[in-house]
Amino acid sequence: MTPRKRLRAPLAILTVTGLALTAACTSGGDDPDGGDGGDSAGGDALSSLSIMAPYFAAVPPEEDDLIDQALSELTGVDLTVQWVPNTDYGERTNVVLAGDDIPDVMVMGKTPAFVQTAEAGGFWELTDYLNSGDYPNLVSENPEVQEATSVNGHVYGVYRARDVIRHCIILRADWLENLGLEQPETVEELYEVARAFTEDDPDGNGADDTYGFINPAWPGSIGSGSPYDAIELWHGAGNVWLEDGGELVPSFTTDEWMEAVEYERDLVQNGYTNPDYATMDPATWNEPFLNGEGGIIVDVQSRAPQLVELFREQDPENAENYVALVGQPEGPHGTFAMPTAGYSNFLAIPRSSVETEEQLEQVLQVLNDMNSTEAQILLNNGIEGDNFTVEDGYAVYNEDRQDFTDQVSGAWAQLGTNVAGYDAYSTQPATPYDEELAQLRLDLQAEDLENAVFNPAASLASETYQSSGTQLDTLISDARLQFVAGQIDEAGLQDVIDRWHSQGGDQVIAELNELYSELG
Amino acid sequence: MATLIEAEAASGGADITQRPLNRRNVRETIVRYRWLLLLMLPGITYFVLFRFWPMYGAQIAWRDYIPFLGIEGSEWVGWKHFEDFFTNPDFPRLLGNTLILAALSLFIAFPLTIVMALLLNELRLNILKRTVQTLVYVPHFLSWTVVVSLTGLLFAIGNGPLWTGVNDLLGTDINFLTDPAWFRPLIVLQDVWKNTGWGTIIFLAALASVDQEQYEAAIIDGAGRWQRVWHITLPSIRSTIIVLLILQTGQILNTGFEQIYLMSNPLNRTVADVFDTYVYFVGIQQGSYSYATAVGLAKAIVGVILIFGTNWIAKRFNQQGIF
Repeated sequence: MTPRKRLRAPLAILTVTGLALTAACTSGGDDPDGGDGGDSAGGDALSSLSIMAPYFAAVPPEEDDLIDQALSELTGVDLTVQWVPNTDYGERTNVVLAGDDIPDVMVMGKTPAFVQTAEAGGFWELTDYLNSGDYPNLVSENPEVQEATSVNGHVYGVYRARDVIRHCIILRADWLENLGLEQPETVEELYEVARAFTEDDPDGNGADDTYGFINPAWPGSIGSGSPYDAIELWHGAGNVWLEDGGELVPSFTTDEWMEAVEYERDLVQNGYTNPDYATMDPATWNEPFLNGEGGIIVDVQSRAPQLVELFREQDPENAENYVALVGQPEGPHGTFAMPTAGYSNFLAIPRSSVETEEQLEQVLQVLNDMNSTEAQILLNNGIEGDNFTVEDGYAVYNEDRQDFTDQVSGAWAQLGTNVAGYDAYSTQPATPYDEELAQLRLDLQAEDLENAVFNPAASLASETYQSSGTQLDTLISDARLQFVAGQIDEAGLQDVIDRWHSQGGDQVIAELNELYSELG
Repeated sequence: MATLIEAEAASGGADITQRPLNRRNVRETIVRYRWLLLLMLPGITYFVLFRFWPMYGAQIAWRDYIPFLGIEGSEWVGWKHFEDFFTNPDFPRLLGNTLILAALSLFIAFPLTIVMALLLNELRLNILKRTVQTLVYVPHFLSWTVVVSLTGLLFAIGNGPLWTGVNDLLGTDINFLTDPAWFRPLIVLQDVWKNTGWGTIIFLAALASVDQEQYEAAIIDGAGRWQRVWHITLPSIRSTIIVLLILQTGQILNTGFEQIYLMSNPLNRTVADVFDTYVYFVGIQQGSYSYATAVGLAKAIVGVILIFGTNWIAKRFNQQGIF
């Protein structure tokens, strides 16, 4: 009898645990049907708000850090942020959307999964709420950008505003000077600089150890702001889509695009680009520039001050002589500048967690509060008097609290939407040179904005594109690189474009044009 | 367990009419083996929860699954996703790439583990044998990310030591990391480097159980080293080899997502795309869960067919199968 008795207790525990697990699983499985707002428990005002957001630094902010506390106090609800490393963010959102534990607010991109879920009613449509005037801090200062964030005319999120012009050309200023070259103003001149940087020994060391362009393996496919995309747009190929006589045409079917990829191919084939352009980790983009291996980077303007800062660590005396920043060049068919979408993702509100209209209004109120000047300063600068102080309208950071500041700008700033304008403090330029550089960036932005070519299909969501767009885009971006590498010739490239047409591309064109004519 | 099976066979096996498996017998059996059955409970719970319950979700292969609507709320679409997949122009390429990589691993990597085990077994100096054994295990514990990064460094164009070495030797200028012709050799090399040592474990265990007297007898009969390997060692581990081969064929379409995904880039994608990367690309990145599930299921079914097929062939040749 005794051994049996002894056995009973652990076995009972095992059985109960097994049952509990099964029960938990069953209730979990049934949950997705909920979320219609009819639940009695679901209608209560929210006492806390969970947000899912990406972070860029090595570590996310700690739970309930100073900013969290200050923001929670400011908005009147307890904020909890689920920080996800930016590199995993896209995948994670898909997984989260498929699960049961969906946060109240999510930073979302206009991915196929998002559009699909939004159109099925998974996210609140905010068009009328944002137009109501109840949330003054969420009223867009740039209606075109708001439209670009929308899905076929419906706004599903508060977008995170970004400068419309960010692209530029960054060059080794000392190399230009060594070779007696002017800053390039056209794509031909840019090509000539790339050639000279490769062949004319710009660093004067007598060795053939330099090249022009530094291109990393680009993580996105076509239309993702890569140097290739920029070069194609400069040549007049349009921005992913091009309006031609009232019809939308994919940019890669134009003659200008072909001209541009030939330009790219010549750069690569002649060795005017880094040889590992297909595999180079984008995180190491600055290195060849700093080491004096390569001399041209086509990327966002903010890389320029970053580079200056890095040069300053190496060579504090001459740091100001290394970096030249040039606006976007004139192409053979006119002047076209690459704009950004004007936003980087948006804050969307899932219906399964925010169930009633009252709750939605409460969430919008919180987002409105998070766009007040006071909140913007918290998100972008940190805590005044703790990690920064204000001088002449600029933020001056406390070096002892640098880790905290990095955390702020690396993570919390991701929650700043700044739709109605950026009100936080800019960092005080360390030197007159930095101030000059900042001013140059503003001037170039103003200049390039006049020539910006926007994607006319930005707000349109075609059904076929939602289901197979990623594959279709990758088809073209892979073929582009294969062409550039010399693996395929023009006929081969044309074959791929034909395949794009037959594998769903023609449907995408038809669907987009229908939407385009409907929405005007 | 053996007695349980015997009891079942005795009660319901040979002659059903004589000894029907009635309710009383079942109850008796349960009462009799209650502690054994209880011991099985955690195992059964595990399989129900983590192996069978998820199969419920596999039905999204026949639906247009939208996460927000849930599994039940999504519309039935029949075989649409399967048809889409088999008629997809990418299908032949994916199948070809998958099969070629699987064949390479089956015909190069797998035999190499046996060869390595035999070589280790022939080492007479025990301390040397142990040391070599431990050393060849080590790469197994590195993640694919590390292995791929190492490959990247070694073959980096311009300054990678292996890039320089091989190109100097061949008098060429090959970029191993992007040249489609070099994709498969690199994958096999990595696989061999990382897994061969680890794969020898099971064969070494089988070799340890070979009767030493047979060797002694063979030596007296004048058998050379090679003859001993051929006539004693290999036949002794034949059943182990066959069982592992059958299991391996079941895994044939699982080409190892991580390694291939990390090694692929736009310039070698034509040979690098396999079912696993495709499922990830379409399912996770593009969010087409239903389609990806259909592809995954199709792949799993082929795996099952292959296991049964090889098992059947093994039995036809009078070998022990695994079931």
